[in-house]
Amino acid sequence: MRLLPFVTVWAAAFAIVQGSALIGDAQAPAPARPARAADAPAARRPASPAPARAQAPEPTGAAAGPSAERAFVSQYCATCHSERVKSGGLVLDAAGADHVGADAAVWEKAVRKIRTGMMPPSGALRPDRAKLDAFATAMEARLDAANPPGAHPETPALHRLNRTEYANAIRDLLALDVDVKTLLPQDDSSEGFDNLAEALNVSPSLIQGYVGAAMKISRRAVGDRSLVPAQVTYSAPPQFAHDKHVEGLPLGTRGGMLVQHTFPLDAEYEFTVTGGPGGGGGAGAPRIDVTLDGAPLVVQNPRTFRQTVTAGPHTLGLALVDRARGAGVDDAYSDFRVDSAFTPGGAVGTVTITGPFKPSGAGDTPSRQRIFLCRPAAAAEEAPCARRILGNMARRAYRRPATAAEVDTLMAFYQEGRGQGDFELGIQQGLARILVAPSFLYRSEPEPAGVPSGRTYRIGDLALASRLSFFLWSSIPDETLLDLAEKGRLSQPAVLAQQVRRMLADPKADALVTNFAGQWLYLRELATVQTDARNFDDNLRQAFRRETELLFGSIVRDDRPLLELLTADYTFLDERLARHYGVPNVFGSYFRRVSLPADSPRRGILGQGSMLTVTSVATRTSPVARGKWILENLLGTPVPQPPPGVEINLEADPKAEKPTTLRQRLEMHRKNPVCASCHKIMDPMGFALENFDLVGTWREAEAGWPIDATGQLADGTPLKGPADLRAAVLSRSDMFMTVATEKLMTYALGRPVHYNDMATVRAIVRDAARRDNRFSALVLGIVESAPFRQRIKKS
Amino acid sequence: MAFLSKKHLSRRTFLHGVGVTLALPLLDSMVPAATALAQTAAKARTRFGAIYFPHGAIMKRWIPATTGAGFELSEILQPLAPHHAQVNVVSGLRHALAYGSGATANHNRSAAAFLSGAFAKTGAKAYLGVTADQIVAQKLGQDTPLPSLEVMIEEPSLNCGDGLSCSYRDTISWQGPGSPLPMQNNPQVVFERLFGDGSNDNERRARRKQSLSLLDSVMGEAAALQKTLPASDRARMDQYLTDVREIERRIQKSGEQLGEDLAVPNAPTGVPRDVEEHIKLMYDLQALAWQAEITRVSTMLMCKELSNAVYPKSGIRDAFHTLSHHSGVQENIDRFTQLNRYHVGLFTYFLDKLKATPDGDGTLLDHSLVLYGSGMSDGNSHNHTDLPIVIAGGASGRLTGGRHIATQKDTPMANLLAALLVTVGVQTDHFGDSTGVLAL
Repeated sequence: MRLLPFVTVWAAAFAIVQGSALIGDAQAPAPARPARAADAPAARRPASPAPARAQAPEPTGAAAGPSAERAFVSQYCATCHSERVKSGGLVLDAAGADHVGADAAVWEKAVRKIRTGMMPPSGALRPDRAKLDAFATAMEARLDAANPPGAHPETPALHRLNRTEYANAIRDLLALDVDVKTLLPQDDSSEGFDNLAEALNVSPSLIQGYVGAAMKISRRAVGDRSLVPAQVTYSAPPQFAHDKHVEGLPLGTRGGMLVQHTFPLDAEYEFTVTGGPGGGGGAGAPRIDVTLDGAPLVVQNPRTFRQTVTAGPHTLGLALVDRARGAGVDDAYSDFRVDSAFTPGGAVGTVTITGPFKPSGAGDTPSRQRIFLCRPAAAAEEAPCARRILGNMARRAYRRPATAAEVDTLMAFYQEGRGQGDFELGIQQGLARILVAPSFLYRSEPEPAGVPSGRTYRIGDLALASRLSFFLWSSIPDETLLDLAEKGRLSQPAVLAQQVRRMLADPKADALVTNFAGQWLYLRELATVQTDARNFDDNLRQAFRRETELLFGSIVRDDRPLLELLTADYTFLDERLARHYGVPNVFGSYFRRVSLPADSPRRGILGQGSMLTVTSVATRTSPVARGKWILENLLGTPVPQPPPGVEINLEADPKAEKPTTLRQRLEMHRKNPVCASCHKIMDPMGFALENFDLVGTWREAEAGWPIDATGQLADGTPLKGPADLRAAVLSRSDMFMTVATEKLMTYALGRPVHYNDMATVRAIVRDAARRDNRFSALVLGIVESAPFRQRIKKS
Repeated sequence: MAFLSKKHLSRRTFLHGVGVTLALPLLDSMVPAATALAQTAAKARTRFGAIYFPHGAIMKRWIPATTGAGFELSEILQPLAPHHAQVNVVSGLRHALAYGSGATANHNRSAAAFLSGAFAKTGAKAYLGVTADQIVAQKLGQDTPLPSLEVMIEEPSLNCGDGLSCSYRDTISWQGPGSPLPMQNNPQVVFERLFGDGSNDNERRARRKQSLSLLDSVMGEAAALQKTLPASDRARMDQYLTDVREIERRIQKSGEQLGEDLAVPNAPTGVPRDVEEHIKLMYDLQALAWQAEITRVSTMLMCKELSNAVYPKSGIRDAFHTLSHHSGVQENIDRFTQLNRYHVGLFTYFLDKLKATPDGDGTLLDHSLVLYGSGMSDGNSHNHTDLPIVIAGGASGRLTGGRHIATQKDTPMANLLAALLVTVGVQTDHFGDSTGVLAL
């Protein structure tokens, strides 16, 4: 009964438009999330129709007279945040608590400080947790009423594909892997992500990159028979240890390399293999075992040989067969890193592939299978076949059916190439034209005619298909999505939900792991970590990243609760990582799911090497950086850099009479009130993790002193060790879910999430909680939200 | 465990981490190969370069003890000794607009203000001001295939804090207030920007032709697309169209200039592992581009603000940013001094290269104007007063070297930028937040 009036009011207030037709009443397809409307008290909704972007009036009934919230602000906040004292440059007017809409951005921040336990500060008058939470909840309800979900479906700017999306689109369009860093200039990051529309500028070098990439990629995809031989060298990462079996190489071998290379033509290629620095192929060197796509390759000299290979992607394996050192080596006495002082006899440092020589044809590559839907048998068939091929490619690339005029343009390029050479050259040049098309490079969402300026409207199905695929796959829609969108079925709620689940289960959803989690959790920074830790090698660097990616990937693909990122009673280990963590009975080079006992410090990301290593500096741990990482990424409370002129160098003084611990040096933060304001919040979180050294090895002592992992959070919670810290973060799991949703929504929309989006965020979090915080619940919540589904007509 | 170099869907058995490189010898092999243009050029034109380093320097050991001509090089600037006669140290300059709330902002704004004399605005969209190198490019770069070249050493930043766009930290070149120019860190890609794609002249010519017809066709499509876009997005499409026209112009230009008489050197091999080798290679490529007059203007971000890069060959193991907060501790100051001096040494490598390259009636160094400096003075206290600044090169006879120019305290750095513009022939009495033109 409550639902219907609300829907009517809401639809009228925000003028929801489907496609180009205005929805005038509640009989039309329901606006997003009617279920949510029923959950919330009607009093919190706007009472009367209002223009979409105007300030919604606040409820009057609930706020009559001095409210409990106003009293709370007077009692606990206003003393410091007064005109006179202005703590932190912030003035909170208690009366404003009853009119939060006027200053919603400020109140959102204030409420967050309460939610994360940072305010009121310890030492100040401070009510108990229940009272604080009740205040925050009441304030959030007011904020939600002031800016209800869907009131601000702010439209992202015209979105250009970023580098990753471009590479993935090429992969999905042409079945071709490209090294995009060598093709296009870098993209600008903002808000922690590299896919924000506003930040994705163009520049002359980008345009030059697009043109060059289009020509190179089209040649590679079609197969360029005029190619002259070139060299590509693959190098083992520095500090890669060749001591153990490498996953994917033959069992019984140790170390080596597995290289995936796309061979341009059916031809002969020359392979040259060198050892790592200091580990060349001298006398007594181990034999190298060569495999191509897993099958043994018999060659006379595995360090330099020629081999006929068919065009397309192949996996070359180079493994070491070494009876003397194959097994039983005590790791404590051997350092197998390729650039260590002591190298075993032989390693694989680089492999250089030169070719093609004596090419016999373009072969039958996955790219050619994808492109050549037809093959003309006679001259008369050429043009119709070309039209079919290019029309099909354009539809996938432009994420919509190509118009006849567009295909005509492509055909002009085809004719040009056909005139210079043959049918395939024509296709190649038409393909190059597709790859420089603004319709490919930009995610344009044309505005519907017939919608008045300033009105909100629903995006069409084709735009929705693109938004979904760029969100979940960082790539273009597949055939299924495009087909459903063309038929106008994608936006049907049941179809949409089913498609989202299908997409999350698809291997392409790995993009959420590498792009979203890779940026959110700083996993990408592992690649550049420099550390002096003696037990660190590149194998461990890769394993750290792999572990967290597998955990996040499992949450995505198996639709597990996102809180398992903090609490998982399992993790993913191979032998190398298990040894590092001291987890017994894990053997072999492959990663597998391993259960962790209740008292394991390795449960969740706070015990994982990835997070512990990216928050350390080259010579030591950084409790400050660890605390900052937790505050920013798990609790949504960014910490400013230290003000100028203060000491941040914490290296031990070599001339000090007594060695000091890092903790003793950090205590200086408490003495200086300027430092203390932030550090008393950050440092205790980091101290609780001090049993993990700079690469996450468990330790009981540092510099001869026992580790002191005790501390007290800003809200007074005592901590002793990582388990307490995890429990403290979990006690604010609602905040964690809010932050995760904000980050995921920023990434999904390609624009910053603002204070007036917070009602939407909180509604998604509430809904997800009812579904056990499963990952799909968050994704569906975002996909169904107004910001994801609607735009405001601007012209 | 295994690793692979390329993106692949199945991540079960494959991990990334191997650098892909096009392997061919490089460095010195390039230089003799690309001399044709400079020799045929009617008259040597001035080249302009700017190199940025972050986190300031130990100014007490940077500023020379004596001023004027014949000054004595300081401890940090000692590596410049072989070029003393063609080097000027400018002290006392200040970048007032590099100050900004918050320390992250302070770092970002240092790099942003360096060549712009402008204030970096907050928000997802970057907004600064045009930089001096781009004004020079308008003057000196319109008849070369590339108006300017922008290079850096590190990967782009992921998270830049304080609501500031990462462009403020990741580039020092801005074509316009809202148009940061991305800097390229891969030498192989820089090489291709300079010489084009193709293994021989026929191939290069065919590809230039194909590029031009692609660009021409795209222009029409973009103009049609623009009509369907919301007003707010039309400006974005405008920028796209402008850049398409610019690339068209450049390709035509390089068609005229990169004739068959230019022997294109071998391409470099991706990103070198060793940071020193990487920096030197980027200096090589700039020298090469200047020598062949593919461009006369280049900028380089030797290291990003807030970077914790480590320079193993400097003998210092500390991370750059962390060490810059030396806290006044003598050992830290000594180590930071050594690192500052090491970086000056790498800059000297560039000057060596320019001096060793004949150009018209002299050397490339005679015909260059190179700015080396930072937008921060003391990295420990984040101030932007008394910046570490060196200018090198003879600017085709317009600049006398061998002097320590001690300016009046707090002279805007933009006064020097304006003076540099005048030196290369841009008639101006104002740039950024300048209050005048510094007498050089």
